[in-house]
Amino acid sequence: MSGIFRGNFALVVKIVILAGVTAILSLLAQSAFARGEIAIGSFLVISIVALNFTYLTKVSIPLKFFVPGVLLFIAFVIGPIIFTVVMSTFNYKTGNYISKEAAIEQVLIRGVEPDANQTTFDVVAGKASDGKDAILVSDVANQKFFLSTQDNLSTLDANEVVVNEYGVATTAPNFVATSLEDLALDDSYAKIRYKFSDGYYIVIEAQGVGAVFRQALTYDEKTDTMRNIQSGEVYVDNGRGNFALEGSPDSVLTPGWRAPIWFENYTKLVTDSRVRTPLIKVFIWTVIFASLTVLSTFAFGLLLAIALNRRMRGRRVYRSILILPYAMPSIMSILIWGGMFDSQFGAINNLLNTDIAWFSNPTYARAAVLLVNLWLGFPYFYLICSGSLQAIPSELLEAAAIDGANPRQVFRQITLPLLLQILSPLLIASFAFNFNNFNLIYLLTGGGPRDTLDGELAGATDILISYTYQIAFGTNILDFGLASAISVLIFFLVASISFYGIRKSKVMETFG
Amino acid sequence: MFRKKAIAVAVAAAFGAGIFIAPSQAADKEILVWADETRGPNLVKTLAKKSDWVPGHTIKVVSFSSYDALKDALDKASGTTGPDVFVAGNDWVPALAKSGKLAPVVLTAQQKGQFTPGQLFDLSYGGKLYGVPVDVNNVGMIYNTKMVKTAPKSYGEMVKFYLDNKKKLGLKAGLCIAGGGMSWGGLSGFSALGADPYLMNADGTVNYNKSFDPAVFAKNVSTYLLDKNGKSNGFYPATDTGCMDNYLAGKVPFAVVGNWHWRKFAEAGFQMNIMPVPGVKAGTYGKMFGSVSGAFLTSYAEAHGVAVGAKSLLTTFFASTAGQVLYQAEEGRPPADKGAQKSQLVLPGQKAMGVAAGMSSIPQIGAFLNTNAGGANYWDSAPAYWTAVLVDGKNPLAEAKKLAAIWKANVAAGKADL
Repeated sequence: MSGIFRGNFALVVKIVILAGVTAILSLLAQSAFARGEIAIGSFLVISIVALNFTYLTKVSIPLKFFVPGVLLFIAFVIGPIIFTVVMSTFNYKTGNYISKEAAIEQVLIRGVEPDANQTTFDVVAGKASDGKDAILVSDVANQKFFLSTQDNLSTLDANEVVVNEYGVATTAPNFVATSLEDLALDDSYAKIRYKFSDGYYIVIEAQGVGAVFRQALTYDEKTDTMRNIQSGEVYVDNGRGNFALEGSPDSVLTPGWRAPIWFENYTKLVTDSRVRTPLIKVFIWTVIFASLTVLSTFAFGLLLAIALNRRMRGRRVYRSILILPYAMPSIMSILIWGGMFDSQFGAINNLLNTDIAWFSNPTYARAAVLLVNLWLGFPYFYLICSGSLQAIPSELLEAAAIDGANPRQVFRQITLPLLLQILSPLLIASFAFNFNNFNLIYLLTGGGPRDTLDGELAGATDILISYTYQIAFGTNILDFGLASAISVLIFFLVASISFYGIRKSKVMETFG
Repeated sequence: MFRKKAIAVAVAAAFGAGIFIAPSQAADKEILVWADETRGPNLVKTLAKKSDWVPGHTIKVVSFSSYDALKDALDKASGTTGPDVFVAGNDWVPALAKSGKLAPVVLTAQQKGQFTPGQLFDLSYGGKLYGVPVDVNNVGMIYNTKMVKTAPKSYGEMVKFYLDNKKKLGLKAGLCIAGGGMSWGGLSGFSALGADPYLMNADGTVNYNKSFDPAVFAKNVSTYLLDKNGKSNGFYPATDTGCMDNYLAGKVPFAVVGNWHWRKFAEAGFQMNIMPVPGVKAGTYGKMFGSVSGAFLTSYAEAHGVAVGAKSLLTTFFASTAGQVLYQAEEGRPPADKGAQKSQLVLPGQKAMGVAAGMSSIPQIGAFLNTNAGGANYWDSAPAYWTAVLVDGKNPLAEAKKLAAIWKANVAAGKADL
């Protein structure tokens, strides 16, 4: 068997896999560079070099095991963390999505104005006799015709052109029309400003249609300002991602861009009462939710594990049934529970013969969330506790019994302390997981109920991560910068709590 | 030696394969259109009827599972992933234009003449047009003629019918919202009782000096929707869940349906008695949103090298009489194009919906409805009122005052954004 992993066959397999991975990564790198994603492209190139260097040389055997994991860790953990931290220092929200270069380009595209009549012409695109891009322009209403290039505009006599049944000129001297199919292959002709009169030009608006415009806004790179050529108004960078009219800061050009505002999103968490008040409320509930969830799932799981630790008829059947909630996809379970809690049609109200509006009342909604999470979480602790109970040396329990300890004392003085020592890392991990248990909240209550008429953005069951989602995607004004700042805060909170827990439980010492 | 050569050749070949395979976006000139779950499949069917809508281009339609999913995808779209054209309601224009996701389009005088100035205004932001009108969106109230013999003249008449027949006919509600949700479709439910998010002048301009009177509205809510104990009398449910099924089952006499729904009811054997929701006073009607949906050009089309093709698709298909007639034969909404409206192919149900909209509709102004300046936007605050009063049993006047304050602040903030 081990022969498969050696010799020429293994070498061929290695080369084929490596070549495949290299091909895919180089394709992705090329795409990334083509789209201007320099950081992603560079990372992919480094990955290609690292993978080939690691697997084609014998520099380091451990590296062969670590490199894929390290690369994936950088791509999917370190990268997003860095991106989130960087974005938390930006004004990054509705109206300020794109880069400054893209925003300037868009402002200039929009910074044109049509002539007084908003004139449009029928045009045929092609080439002039000198090979330059040209358009044959038809003013059908007045039966006037022009040939226009970027630099020249020449008027044509009606008898010089051949017109179609709509009065549109299709051929003219010194002009060769290009088919629409050929034009579709290269749209550079559509980016040209074809000459017209009085400072106006013609641009291609659609196939066969040209519109008359003149540039109204210009960008001065030296002073980083936008100037309205017609009115003389100057728009300056307001430092928050928009060009604002001098002397009138509320009058801004759109779109804006992502601009660094450094720690403003963080200070807003403290100074802006519209953000601070719900944040504190949500934080308190998040801690309560995570703590109660860990406590209840652990307690219930342990209770069942102790109960089924004794010999009894049908123990295997009971054990199988108890892990069913764990075997079922949690998303399905949450949605089913959501239906069961429905105030009108739900099974729970029907069984209890009540009409409780479970998801409209904050207390009931929180109770429902905890109950569903207990259902989803107890099998995990039941399994863990069952295994851990087996690991406790029976001599200890027997010795305690001989010394006269009753079962309660044995549990409190021996079983529980030993279990907690074994399970501490899992309890901490469970707390951290539930601190960010987005799926449950989003699918079951959507964070609600929230008193919308009182302007509440945070709902009664919102935890920090669902509140962050609400800020980022839940309303029509999307604020990714603020949401990133809260995400960073959550990261530090969870990291601190986990670190504290690990230190207290002295788990790391066992690895030392 | 052979081993090293083999490795070198394999790696070089892999690099070559990766580098020289052209990325997918460099393939044929393809115009990518995004639409929701109803429009998407209908667009696919319609576009397939003609191969050269835009010479030199193929058209790919991507359908999303819902209107919200489409919005979510657009919010997250980037230059790499975004569409060239998408079809949606006009109220998305301000936020998307402000964020640089839309690109302006120019129509010829003839093309503009095919639409009303109001429709073009609805698709504009900051004086620039960002899309072409495709169809008119509105709701209409239908009533079950097996139960109700003549059209109700007032809101009170409907409530009386419900209370008188609730037990006898096993009614589950009197009037419910089956189309457009409790916010968009439910505007007539508010307006009929005296609450409007903004008021319009007779000349079609917004009346910035007035907003709805919460005391009048709350009094109407108490009179028509609550019992003696201040609890819901069941006439108007706070949610649209089950409304359509209940209407089809004959358990609800009056329902507000979307203009894309009428065919479903007609096919179920119902006579299409479409009208606006009657107001408290006979002869008055609750307002409904008479919005226009558009096909919008994105700024991504330029980056994808199909800006001209995408603009051509807007004019030769979406904004053309021929295109709208073909499309609405599948979609079933009233077309926006004047020529298409006159077409023989436009069915009576579509026309009846258009008539209902003409009787009592207001433009859907996204700048007022989408802003959170008052603490919540219209879409969230409207259903929240019904939940507070009809489900949670809160005081209708206190909640109406909060609602009025939110809507007033939103209109004031939105005015600057128009």
